[in-house]
Amino acid sequence: MKYKKNLQDLLTEFKMNDDFNKNIVAWRTIPESPAKTVPLPENLHPLLKEALISRGIDQLYTHQETAYKTIMKGNSIVAVTPTASGKTLCYNLPIIQTILTDPGTRALYLFPTKALAQDQKSELNEFIEKAKFDINSYTYDGDTPANIRQRIRKAGHIVITNPDMLHSGILPHHTKWVSLFENLKYVVIDELHTYRGVFGSHVANVIRRLRRICQYYGSNPIFICTSATIANPLELAEKLTDKKMELVDNNGAPTGTKHFLFYNPPVVNKPLNIRRSATLEVRKIAGELLKNKIQTIVFARSRVRVEIILTYLQELVQHQLGTKSIMGYRGGYLPTERRKIEKGLRSGEIYGVVSTNALELGVDIGQLQVCIMSGYPGTIASAWQQAGRAGRRQGESLVIMVASSSPLDQYIIQNPDYFFNKSPETARIHPDNLIILIDHMKCAAYELPFKKGEKFGGLDTEDLLDYLTEERVLFQNGDKWYWMNDSFPAHNISLRSASQENVVIIDQTNVANVKVIGEMDRFSAMTLLHEEAIYLHQGKQFQVEKLDWEEKKAFVREVDVDYFTDANLAVQMKVLEIDRLQELDGAEIGYGDVCVRAMATIFKKIKFETHENIGSGPIHLPEEELHTNATWISLNNSLTELGNERLEQGLIGAAHALRAVAPLFVMTDPQDIHVTPQVKADHNEKPTIFFYDRYPGGVGLSERLYYGMAELFYATKKMIRQCQCEAGCPSCIGTDMKNDSAKNDALKIIDTFINQFSLTKGVEKCH
Amino acid sequence: MSLRSKLNRLKPHLSIEQSTKNKIQQPPNENVIHVPYKEVWEKENVYPYFFDQNYCLIREISYPLSYQHGHYCFRDFLTAVKLWNQNENSHPLSAKGYNAEELFFFDTETTGLGGGVGNTIFILGYASLSNESIILRQHILPQPGAEVPLYQSFLEKINYKTLVTYNGKAFDWPQVKTRHTLIREHVPKLPAFGHFDLFHAARRLWKHKLERMKLSIVEKEVLGVERKDDIPGFLAPMIYFDFVESKRPDGMLGVLKHNEMDILSLITLYTHLTFQLCGVDQEQSRMEIYEVGRWYAAIGEKQQAKSVLKNIATGSDFTSCKAKLTLAYQYKNDHEWESAKQLFLEVADFGDEKMKVEAYVELAKIYEHKLKDLARAFEFCQRAIERVKHSNLKLTAIQSLEQLELRQKRIKRKLLKTSC
Repeated sequence: MKYKKNLQDLLTEFKMNDDFNKNIVAWRTIPESPAKTVPLPENLHPLLKEALISRGIDQLYTHQETAYKTIMKGNSIVAVTPTASGKTLCYNLPIIQTILTDPGTRALYLFPTKALAQDQKSELNEFIEKAKFDINSYTYDGDTPANIRQRIRKAGHIVITNPDMLHSGILPHHTKWVSLFENLKYVVIDELHTYRGVFGSHVANVIRRLRRICQYYGSNPIFICTSATIANPLELAEKLTDKKMELVDNNGAPTGTKHFLFYNPPVVNKPLNIRRSATLEVRKIAGELLKNKIQTIVFARSRVRVEIILTYLQELVQHQLGTKSIMGYRGGYLPTERRKIEKGLRSGEIYGVVSTNALELGVDIGQLQVCIMSGYPGTIASAWQQAGRAGRRQGESLVIMVASSSPLDQYIIQNPDYFFNKSPETARIHPDNLIILIDHMKCAAYELPFKKGEKFGGLDTEDLLDYLTEERVLFQNGDKWYWMNDSFPAHNISLRSASQENVVIIDQTNVANVKVIGEMDRFSAMTLLHEEAIYLHQGKQFQVEKLDWEEKKAFVREVDVDYFTDANLAVQMKVLEIDRLQELDGAEIGYGDVCVRAMATIFKKIKFETHENIGSGPIHLPEEELHTNATWISLNNSLTELGNERLEQGLIGAAHALRAVAPLFVMTDPQDIHVTPQVKADHNEKPTIFFYDRYPGGVGLSERLYYGMAELFYATKKMIRQCQCEAGCPSCIGTDMKNDSAKNDALKIIDTFINQFSLTKGVEKCH
Repeated sequence: MSLRSKLNRLKPHLSIEQSTKNKIQQPPNENVIHVPYKEVWEKENVYPYFFDQNYCLIREISYPLSYQHGHYCFRDFLTAVKLWNQNENSHPLSAKGYNAEELFFFDTETTGLGGGVGNTIFILGYASLSNESIILRQHILPQPGAEVPLYQSFLEKINYKTLVTYNGKAFDWPQVKTRHTLIREHVPKLPAFGHFDLFHAARRLWKHKLERMKLSIVEKEVLGVERKDDIPGFLAPMIYFDFVESKRPDGMLGVLKHNEMDILSLITLYTHLTFQLCGVDQEQSRMEIYEVGRWYAAIGEKQQAKSVLKNIATGSDFTSCKAKLTLAYQYKNDHEWESAKQLFLEVADFGDEKMKVEAYVELAKIYEHKLKDLARAFEFCQRAIERVKHSNLKLTAIQSLEQLELRQKRIKRKLLKTSC
């Protein structure tokens, strides 16, 4: 009879067992903290009080009370709350209280996804029904049946939706929602931290439009935002809503002791620096825990990874526990299926769940004992969100992060202090990006004519309106600008995609069931979707059979090959205007508008394990032009001692490493920021590395790097140094090198820059 | 860098909707209310209407009742209203209790497709009977921003009981409401109307012979209306944008003519539909009669449905069988089992595959539950099963093999019980 170990036993075992222990890079223990509670507010409506008590809530956590009081005073707030700290009460309490005392009140809840909106509705309606409140709450999205839409518009106290629906389904039809907009007292923005980058910039403009419509109908709602831990919740909330906010972060929910382990799989091939697969290590660790019936959640970075790990684990424990006790959880599962899993986790019938970041967001699954991350989730904030899934209110919990061999993972895992000591990322939005702004100005004009002198999100609009008038989209009559076009502008603007004209990826593997599996911006498509390219989608390999550049369609078919493709992109950077310039003694850092011209030239087929070049071919695509913002750093010293070829190789290697680390500093997807080296930049003839925003017009990413160049270079240097390979590998400077000195040269170049930062205090010139 | 130069630089990335090709610039109006091309407009019976420092244009023309539009003249519309008033049956299109003067035939022209606040109505057109002639009026928005006079003038003129439109329930009227909401503080409230939407009627009657139900197609195929030099509806927004900039009436006159034709056709269509529904059209096809009967059946006008369907439930052709089937259900609903059975039997003999299965199942039910002839019930159930097994018909739940076999089993059980 096998002895069943508890978490304590296993922790001790991990410490003792050398096989496990030698891979642990860091072991941090976060002490427990007790609950901080206060009595229910005095003036609470008696029915509401009764309903809370019957649910076992006879006290509030401190942050819930602060939120309640601040909101009832009429102030907008942003509440920063860890996972499972009762954040929904932060907004439901004041809102239900207000509706009970004034049934005319209306509230709008925004969730980033339909699934979260559905969850909230079920939870809220269960509460409302049990308490027998006369409150109607509905979700309103693309799935809402036509026959109940009218009722929601007229009589919904609480309308739960997502930003996309607000953008294209509600605001352009605001005349059908008069009773909502006239009485709108609260707008809830849950999961605020997800509104960053291009998506956040779009949503900020949707909210500008929302506030404009509210003003037209005479309402001025209070905004209630909740966010996971990020560096700048207050700034983000204020920028997103254009409202003065108060920060509520006196979390009163209790937490138990938490152990946080960094686990780096052992190196199996020294020269190429190949580590054992993170997936296999995760299987081993999770299997051990599950066999002992310790509730565990495993996070994987893609849907396919989820399925692979799930299959492994189910096989491993099928005899002890039965396969039903371990489930997958990801987008693409049916809502009922997901409800069942959530319930199983809460009740303890399900021991293990393997999930994508879908479970990062506020779905209620109770608290598990162990969380294993298969790979670094990409941001510090996201890692803490996932870690928050483990942690009971009492007792110990364990979080293990298992690194993959990607440069970013390796940087994080080898620098635990960076992770533990640094505040989570700053979430940035750039609502005034001209492309995004103009798009939403069009929508706004469609919704209501603009008046002379009217501001949009604090911006003067006249120039923009004149521009749109010249383009025959608006018509000026007297002091107003009217929509004068036969289109429906919101339909042409997607909040989620990076630019308007994307290439659609069509899978024709199954002739009877040809389907769209994704889209990609044109710029990236040149190197990733050219004909014969191997395109990876959720872990599957596809070969591009035809790229119809005119129609923006790429036709792919699933294949199973042992190589990937790598395309060369000839990039020309033209600096159009220098907005800022720091001159150091031997270098300069600039920021401004650039024109990027890129042309895909040839592609190579590269064998997986050996990285041999096993074939190549030309790419016939027209040159693409992108106008955006960039930050660049140039050396005055042209490093002639290296010779041109080594300089070029070194710059390419340095750029490869910088590209991996840069997203860390700007909290963004790696695709959103591009890095390009130039041996001799056109505008100053110096060796230069450019960082530019992928989105036309820029969304503030490169601007952020302008101020953080030194930090970025230090981190990059560290990453290359720590890499155990001999002369460059995919985990540091890439494999595109023709000579063995590339790693050293890259380091040398980075050092040359770093010397500049330490030598001089730059003089900034503003233009 | 100036915003303007930035905008021009980003131009390739900005998606700007393609608009009117002809770009004729005109300075905006001066302060006094000046109506451009007033004389040209007046020649076309278009006059300005001033209100609140602004104006809109109104076109008014009249047609004598003897005017022929398609297969009917407008006097026939009076006959149609009279027919409804003499008729005993209720029907969604019935004008019983109305004077002909109380109907108004309504159609709009808009700057875009689909609903949405920014889709502007630039022509509100309607026709009605007044003093022995048909008066047609069109209120025209001379430019955006002139909607207060547009709706003010419109609301002053309309004093009717019921709207008659083509797809107006889903489109025109909600759009009027939307645009009215934007200026609701400056103009009177929208009155409540009854609403006859002829689009749905046309679909009921001619689905069997027309692929698309656009008014222009119904006009051509059913009403005998010929349009000459008509401007296609989809060009109307472009012509309007051009008009707003150039102020020149020529293009708009074409759009007005198009709108006028649409409205006149509504009168003819209503007349024709009435004649169909009241059974006075000599040239009504058997299929049309069948659809009329089926419509009465669907709205619960059983007697009317029966009397219409009996006219064509005479032979063994396809339409007769369909009529018999519908008729059989009417008898079934009235618990006239014998008559129902008789008709179902006829359909079972002469109907097509689909009708046969339906009839077999109904016969099995009637024999089992009402006429208590279990042997025959078993037999029809068996026939249904055989048909279903060897066909690829789309089946309803009750016709599924599984259900049928259950039914047969049950009948068998009952048979055994009674024989013991």
